[in-house]
Amino acid sequence: MLKTIVTREFLDNILNLRFMIGLLLCLIVTVACIIILSHDYRQELADYSLRVNLQEEFLGKYALAGWVGQLIPGQKPPERFRPLIIGIPTNESQDSFYDNPLPILFPSLDFLFIVTIIMSLLAILFSYDAITGERQSGTLRLVIANSVSRTTILLGKFIGGTASLIIPFILAILVGVLYINLNPNIQWDGSAWAELALLTAASITFITSFYLLGLMVSTFSTHSAISILNCLFLWVFLVLVIPNVGPYVSAQLRRIPSITATARRAEELSRACRETWHQRREELVEQFRGKYGGLFSKLEALDFGLILYDDRGDAEKVQELAAADPQFKAMVDDFRGEVNRIGREWQQASSQAEDELWTDLRTKAAAQTRLAKNLAGISPLADYVYVARDLTGTGLRSLKYFEEFKGKYRRRFGEYKAKVTAAVVAAHKNEPSPPGGWFLDLRDHPRFVFQEESLKGKLGAALPYWGILGLFNVVFFAAAFAKFMRYDVR
Amino acid sequence: MLGTLIRKEMLLNLLSFKFSIITVLSTILILVSIFIMYRDYGLALENYEILASESAAAVIPPTPLSIFAKGLEENLCRAHVLGFGQRISASSKQQSVNDLFKVFTVPDLLYIIKVILSLCAMLFAFDMVSGEKEAGTLRQSLSGSLGRPILIAGKWIGGFVSFILPFFLAVLLGTIFVTSLPMVQMNTQDWAKLGLFLLSSVIYLAVFFSLGLLISCLTHRSSTSLVLSLFVWAILVFLIPNLGNILARQFVEVPTVQQLELRRRQIAISAWQEVNRLQLVRERMARLERSRSEQDQVTEDYRNRFDRLVTLSQSITRVSPTAAFTFLATDLMGTGMLEEGRLKNAVVKYMFGAGDEEGRDRPRFSYQRTSWREVLGRGGLNNLLILVLFNILIFSGAYVAFLRYDAR
Repeated sequence: MLKTIVTREFLDNILNLRFMIGLLLCLIVTVACIIILSHDYRQELADYSLRVNLQEEFLGKYALAGWVGQLIPGQKPPERFRPLIIGIPTNESQDSFYDNPLPILFPSLDFLFIVTIIMSLLAILFSYDAITGERQSGTLRLVIANSVSRTTILLGKFIGGTASLIIPFILAILVGVLYINLNPNIQWDGSAWAELALLTAASITFITSFYLLGLMVSTFSTHSAISILNCLFLWVFLVLVIPNVGPYVSAQLRRIPSITATARRAEELSRACRETWHQRREELVEQFRGKYGGLFSKLEALDFGLILYDDRGDAEKVQELAAADPQFKAMVDDFRGEVNRIGREWQQASSQAEDELWTDLRTKAAAQTRLAKNLAGISPLADYVYVARDLTGTGLRSLKYFEEFKGKYRRRFGEYKAKVTAAVVAAHKNEPSPPGGWFLDLRDHPRFVFQEESLKGKLGAALPYWGILGLFNVVFFAAAFAKFMRYDVR
Repeated sequence: MLGTLIRKEMLLNLLSFKFSIITVLSTILILVSIFIMYRDYGLALENYEILASESAAAVIPPTPLSIFAKGLEENLCRAHVLGFGQRISASSKQQSVNDLFKVFTVPDLLYIIKVILSLCAMLFAFDMVSGEKEAGTLRQSLSGSLGRPILIAGKWIGGFVSFILPFFLAVLLGTIFVTSLPMVQMNTQDWAKLGLFLLSSVIYLAVFFSLGLLISCLTHRSSTSLVLSLFVWAILVFLIPNLGNILARQFVEVPTVQQLELRRRQIAISAWQEVNRLQLVRERMARLERSRSEQDQVTEDYRNRFDRLVTLSQSITRVSPTAAFTFLATDLMGTGMLEEGRLKNAVVKYMFGAGDEEGRDRPRFSYQRTSWREVLGRGGLNNLLILVLFNILIFSGAYVAFLRYDAR
């Protein structure tokens, strides 16, 4: 009997106007979107290659030891899922004076948009009258009058309805996959195809949650007109309101200082440390005056011979005096040792205070982001976005992963540069260094080749949110089931 | 007769479940949005006070109108300073610490009007004709001496007034609340801009209301009308504006910002390395000047391409009333593309104008946001006219469809 109900529901849906509109919309939008984004991807790949080549060429010409720090390679390649999903912009591109502000006014159209807006709306349109429509037309009571259980009816409606809803979506994905496969610019390996399969499965979980939401609302209503209004009301809240309000509410609940305020505070701390250092130096001078008396006055008369101040003092004269008088030398060594010690202490205290400040900001920001993520997670849309972005390497996690990867590369590059610099300095042992430092031959420097995170790692991050999506399905179905058991079909 | 029809339509709507649910939805959303964005404005003000204390930075205060339409406000309120190699750099955005802001949209009044209330407008109108036909009341109304033009006009006026009233009350309540707070200081210009924003919102919502009516006049069942309305809404509100932006990029190739910054940095580094090798001050100055002009050339090429992209993108997306409304509203509120371009020009002029290389003797940066007259003169009026045109066209379509409508 279940099979009959599923077939009937399926046929009923695919002969309906909404199926035709849904199919056309899905196919046209998905295919258009993939074609345009693939073109974008090709442009970004060309831009990326150009940037890498520019940097290599430049490194060959201008790698002076003093400037190499600004020339370290590490360009971010376009995400391999770029033909489907537009990644999150990096701070580097957003904080430029010449950035492109248009995407702020109109967020771009991609696969995530198709699933979260079009498919969720379509899912609700497919299910809002699944129960109320049949009740109004009188067919529900006829079916119930036979020996069909309510559980079978509900299950049949869910399976048949979902199948008819998923068809346009799968068809659109298949056409997209064919295009990606035939496009010579897009080279996907096994893991990328596995990610696409998982993305499709996650999208189906998301779409069924909205189908079940519509089914649930339908069992709670007696008229289709009321059911659709309630459905759209919930849709607006779950899709358009909660995810967007989440970050702003979290920003109010867990307030954190801005980057500018933190930078200002760090400057103040550094200044305070420097003042303490100056004071400690004066105390040290007083201490040495008392300890060495006239001997120390000689050093004072020479402006401490570049020991206390970087920009003044007669170092050569101090050296001469130290060579002639061992007592003076012992005092100078003692003084230099003390000055260096308080200098190190000052630098340590200053960098520790600054580190603490920035770590505190990062911890607070992480807590705020976590709260925002959880608040937005009340909506299936946010959970789906986290799953899809984490799986395809186009989300916040992938940005963090890229930064860590780049950091590791920079350390490797730094070690390599130190080795080359040491060799060059040894070769020019007796020559003064030119402005900007010696030219470094970095032709065989380690190349920056970005490697995607493993599928296991991505899946591990996505699974909790996928679980929540599954939970939404269970809750909506359970509520629909409980209500339908007591539904008045007359 | 028209008065009776309007009254009937309004009463019908006021007593419907649809009216209650939409009123509750829009009131909650508008008030929550205004409150959230007011707190966000407070954070922006705090940020501005810190940034403004740096005398060398070019920074402008946030506008209280960003509470209603945030647009590009975060970009506009960054501090701009002149750095290495004559490069203007912008400070981090206010919300750049929490990355989740990049994933979701700003829930300001503009978003609520352009997305949620436009949907509500269509939901109000989708069954105005087809619903009455199904209930059988349409043929009864038309069997009398009532003309179809009066009937459709009555339906439009009565329906739209009953839809727009709760919206206006909620906005009024939110505005009174916000402007009564000491942190928000609005001048006459701001009030005029807010008034124009609300007027354009009403015109924009009327477009969607007329569209719902048109679809209702083209269909004979309200369920068909509803499905069509929702799809047309999704296409106009989401699809065209978002697609138009990426479609424009297919025609105008613009290098990425990373490429531009890389090129500029490389020009500066190569110049400085060469300068270090030169002995004469005159030669050094000449080399630095050449580097600056090379950088300017790269930047100018980028800006020209970017301006072409923006113009094309605006032309494509204006096919949708949502895009025209977004451009108009953000420009009016001083948080749009017009203001962004104007501010960037002012910053460049300021940085390379008065004062020496290090920024000494440079007066404080002062900037006046665009007045409402200037906004209307520089494209705003075109956007407004597009919205009015959409209204006339769609209502005419609905009128013609209703004249030929089979009421049986």
